[in-house]
Amino acid sequence: MILREPSTALDPRVRTLWLLENLMATGAAAALVLGGTVAAAMLGATTVAWVLGGIGALVVVGLVVFSFVSAGLDYRHFRYEVTDLGLYVARGWLWRRYQVVPHARVQTVDTTSGPLMRALGLVAVFVRTASAAGGTSVPGLTPEIADRLVEELARRAGLEEGT
Amino acid sequence: MPAAGELEGRLHPLGLIVVARRFVGASLIPALALFVSAGTRVVLPAVLLALLVGVPLALLSWWRFRYRVSGGRLELHSGVLSRSVRTIPLERVRGIQVTEPFLHRLLGLVRVEVDAAAGGAQSAELTLPAVTRRQADELREALLAAGPGDESAEPPVLYRATPDRLAAAGVTSLSYLFAPAAIVGVVVNLADDLPGGYVERAIEAAADRFPTDAIGLALVGLAAAVLVLVSAATGSLLVDWDFTLRDEGERLTAARGLLTRRVVHLDRDRIRGADVRDTPLRRPFGLAAVTAIAAGVGGREGGTTLAPVLRRGELPAFLQAVDEHAASPDSLLVPHPASARSRRLVRAAVAPLVLLALFAALEVVWAAAVALVALAAAVPLARDRYRQLGHAFDGRRLALREGSLRRRWSELDPDAAVGFELRSSPGQRRAGLATLTVHLGQGAGSRRALDIGDEQATALLRRVRPRLFEPLRPRRD
Repeated sequence: MILREPSTALDPRVRTLWLLENLMATGAAAALVLGGTVAAAMLGATTVAWVLGGIGALVVVGLVVFSFVSAGLDYRHFRYEVTDLGLYVARGWLWRRYQVVPHARVQTVDTTSGPLMRALGLVAVFVRTASAAGGTSVPGLTPEIADRLVEELARRAGLEEGT
Repeated sequence: MPAAGELEGRLHPLGLIVVARRFVGASLIPALALFVSAGTRVVLPAVLLALLVGVPLALLSWWRFRYRVSGGRLELHSGVLSRSVRTIPLERVRGIQVTEPFLHRLLGLVRVEVDAAAGGAQSAELTLPAVTRRQADELREALLAAGPGDESAEPPVLYRATPDRLAAAGVTSLSYLFAPAAIVGVVVNLADDLPGGYVERAIEAAADRFPTDAIGLALVGLAAAVLVLVSAATGSLLVDWDFTLRDEGERLTAARGLLTRRVVHLDRDRIRGADVRDTPLRRPFGLAAVTAIAAGVGGREGGTTLAPVLRRGELPAFLQAVDEHAASPDSLLVPHPASARSRRLVRAAVAPLVLLALFAALEVVWAAAVALVALAAAVPLARDRYRQLGHAFDGRRLALREGSLRRRWSELDPDAAVGFELRSSPGQRRAGLATLTVHLGQGAGSRRALDIGDEQATALLRRVRPRLFEPLRPRRD
């Protein structure tokens, strides 16, 4: 362990969010496989249809398993913390990333919530700096916790509310 | 007459020629195509119509183009059909670049580009296509906070390039090693676009006459090598001819170029550090190129060239002159752990090994031989890439080094960082390594310490920003 883990986990419902997102991507892949197989079968290329369908089915099954596993692991490995001088975020289980953004460098703090997130009652907080690569985000918080986080980050960054 | 600190003006009348040239240039190929396919009877009326509409339009757009500096703002009025007024507060102006393209020089004009911060990471650029040099000077004084420099004395020269050094820099740049793919791409694209298959025919003709005996091949190879080196030297001479860096107190001014003369002004307080680049060919001669890591200077990763080619011996004094706290390029770097060498070797060897196995299995002997040569070259390269890795912190500046064919030593002010990031892939974690990235922001880009030991990384971060990183030390209980 090279830095200690940040203190706070995300809201557990983010697992459902990530699982649904993963499954949607898997669904798109499954639709492609299905379309390809049906097209091949209709064109009379039976061997191609079998090979495409077989490999595609395996891939889709693998993706479904991965969707469940990675949603759980992503949740378990995502942690954040507001320290005295910065926002500290750790994410990822295969490629691990520890990000530290000093409060003094924060330019904007904003929240977004897509339809799926709203249905689950979740909000994502984005922290932006003067560098496109230098910011970070905390996805999947309840609105109350997100509001408190935004307020605290904005206060420490010396931003006026609403910026 | 505008009051002091205020300024207004329009483009120079000769600027019309510059604008017209661009218009002609853009329409030349369609016009030619039309001429070839339709003949004079259609083309002549079309050209007349274009002139009838185009000339008044150009005149009108020149007439409408005005700029004004007043009340702490730069205003740019332009547009014929839809008029636009762009306003930029002067404190947002980050830099100004004066360029003299070839045609401008003939007419005694310059092009001025004003770079401004537009919130966030974006930047806006305003261009005055053709004004006189005096207008450009007045604009610069009005726009840049530094105010007029000491006009009586010529500002001291920090660096001046000599032609022999520039030629040497071109030959040793090695950038032509990375260029062939691009050239092939351009030629192939041209072959698709040009009618009549000229390129194909030219290639066929060349292939017919191509020598097949050993001496002929050797001569062709030699000629190609000489051609590449001569064009590399010529390119370097054209772009950086009489490169002169002057110290104007609050800002640095770099002028360069033979056909197109460019002048870049760089405020000192935007400098966050410097990159020193060299190649294996430059190292034996002790040559290096220096660019500033600067916030908010046009596009490419904040790269403003400070010296296209410099002797290593002159480097410490030069860096000191640019930035008094600059780290010394001679100070020792902390090497990264030995496991980083295995990682470099593995990563370099995988692709050639796979290709070698593939071609050997397919019994394509010549391809397998090429893969073997690539493997043999990859190993020493990987070892050198590891040897070049290193970092240091002298209390003020962070120094980082990586790369072999294009080695880069960077020194930067960690107080300017907008974010720190530590990444580790599964392979890096097994080897106890990580990649530390320092984001600088405002167009200055990021610099990284590749495959730094994880203990080294945290120790370095705690020294660079103790109050930020001390609380993140792992709790031992």
